[in-house]
Amino acid sequence: MTDFNRDALGPPAGLVATMRLLLVEDNARLAALVSDGLEQQGFAIDRYESIDGAEHAQTIAQYDLLLVDLGLPDGDGLDLIRAMRRRGNSTPILVLTARGGLDDRVAGLDAGADDYLVKPFQIPELAARCRALLRRPGNALDSVLTAGNIVLVTAERTIRVNGQAIEATPREVALLELLLRRSGHVVAKPALENALYSMEAEVTPNALEAIVSRLRKRLAAAASNVQIKTVHGVGYALFAPPAADE
Amino acid sequence: MNSAQPAAAGKPGPSLFRQIAVRLAILTLAFAVLSIAIVVITYSRQPESLAQELLSLEASRIAADPASAEVHAGPPGSSHWQVRYVDQAFAYDAGHDLSPDRAALIDWTQSERTAGGYRITGVRTIEQDGRQRWLFLQFEGDGLRPYLPVILNEILQHAVLPLVPLSVLMLAFNILAVRRFLNPLRRAEREVDQLDPENMAARLSEPFAPREVHTLVCAFNRALGRLEDAVATLRTFTANAAHELRTPLAIMQLGIDRLPESRDRDELSRDNLYMTRLVGQMLDLAQADALMIDDAHRIDLSETARAVVTALAPMAFEQDRELRFEQVDEAFALGHGEAIYRVFRNLVDNALVHTTGANPIEIVAGPGPQFHVRDHGPGIPEAEREHIFERFWRGDRRSSNGAGLGLGIAKRIVEAHNGTIAVEDAPGGGTLFRVRLQPPA
Repeated sequence: MTDFNRDALGPPAGLVATMRLLLVEDNARLAALVSDGLEQQGFAIDRYESIDGAEHAQTIAQYDLLLVDLGLPDGDGLDLIRAMRRRGNSTPILVLTARGGLDDRVAGLDAGADDYLVKPFQIPELAARCRALLRRPGNALDSVLTAGNIVLVTAERTIRVNGQAIEATPREVALLELLLRRSGHVVAKPALENALYSMEAEVTPNALEAIVSRLRKRLAAAASNVQIKTVHGVGYALFAPPAADE
Repeated sequence: MNSAQPAAAGKPGPSLFRQIAVRLAILTLAFAVLSIAIVVITYSRQPESLAQELLSLEASRIAADPASAEVHAGPPGSSHWQVRYVDQAFAYDAGHDLSPDRAALIDWTQSERTAGGYRITGVRTIEQDGRQRWLFLQFEGDGLRPYLPVILNEILQHAVLPLVPLSVLMLAFNILAVRRFLNPLRRAEREVDQLDPENMAARLSEPFAPREVHTLVCAFNRALGRLEDAVATLRTFTANAAHELRTPLAIMQLGIDRLPESRDRDELSRDNLYMTRLVGQMLDLAQADALMIDDAHRIDLSETARAVVTALAPMAFEQDRELRFEQVDEAFALGHGEAIYRVFRNLVDNALVHTTGANPIEIVAGPGPQFHVRDHGPGIPEAEREHIFERFWRGDRRSSNGAGLGLGIAKRIVEAHNGTIAVEDAPGGGTLFRVRLQPPA
């Protein structure tokens, strides 16, 4: 039984609070790679390789999130999840598995998992899903959103391109914030519209298109290198150039 | 009977019907020969009864045609033929006392030896124009020849006549019985022709009778069971192998990501992604093969399409490609949500892999339980269309972007939904894959 508690290494600078994760994975090499990768993203990881180990770990420490493999030496990870949920344990659980069958995802979620990720995966995606599950807007990534040469400070409601503040209406800032939070992903139109409606301003049917259009012009005028793409019939997505170009 | 014959097996032998018919004919012939022999032997031992029969035969011939009495030459090979009426014609009178003369006239036959052979004499009663008459007949002859007509007559009556209906009956029996007994075989043949590796659970229906066919069909079903096990083992193996490959692939992916940035690393990463995709497709295919839609739900195709576009749009934008979604009317269908999602994903993947250029890939849901994915690529030549859904088939072997499994997976899933997938020419060029599903109940 291995227990690597890397809390001592400490989180990278900029992270307000270190999230403590429990990884239950019996493949030692994969477990090492995942915990290394997530530690670089600012998480603290404890590793166990069996259901017994995971249950034991939870009696001695409090975890913010569990990453659970399903095929474990002493049983099915789903049984661990069900047992935890029966006990009323509501710690978020992300299933990390090779099982990608048609009904596996639903089975995982039915057992009480909060998210389901099929191997293989990349660390940034895993980290993004972990953050989404932790629902903790209090860390640096959430208060200062960046993509390409854009910086949005959520508390100040300001947008900076290449360090220069640009003018924008509250609704444009709100739209950009939503897109930045899901940078690289498509954000559905209804989600964007709901956010704008909630701002108590009158919204015409084409309001969203108009706001996107104005925001694009402002960003282009400020020589921003991010692009807001239209996904026809679905929504919008913000793409930043690859990190190497920054 | 043997109408459906496999081309490769060469010309099959005669049908069971023919075999039985030939044997029955031989049997009938043998029977006829035997009957004739018995008739001939019986009569040659009793010349008196032959003589009796011969005179009766001649008399009945004259009775049928009185005019021939004068010109008739008697039996073949006979001599001294005489025939004459020996009575006075009179009308029968029930109230009148019969004359003593008439009472003296009875049918008789007499055979006597002569120097050259024998002489047959006799009297026969015949009926002519409603009157009874007595006919005196006499001839001389030698050997069997004069008796030939009567022997032939006997053969006709005792051997041939009974055999004709018997033969006809046997033929009819043959037709009906063979047809009927072979019906279960023919049904089994039809069912065997319908066997399909996609549905290994199918079995031939076991006939109650005949027992021989029942035994054969049962044996065949047992063989099918063993085949099913073998196919299942193969599929399970594919699924297990693909499944087991995922963890090492994940390790490799994470390991590659840790390497210092270089072109080699990027290429390794791309190769690894390709392998990941291949393994994923093999798993998908194994699952699609085993897919039984028994818990179909009402699904919103537009919702599924949006989810696919949401998932794939970032990758498309990375390749400077664009996905567009359009909803035409309501698009509800009966199906397995995750499975239909994979059909969409494979079709869009296929379009992304096989086309280039700025033109968008259009995904349209509805109207009704159907959707289509359309690209603006070069289209698919007519000759290739029948192959595109085959597994591991790629139009352009040089393209290494896929294993050629995506469309096969899509087709298998759609068929499990009792739906259809077809490739069409899109108006204005490009390829259009149209999927039709069952409407929700």
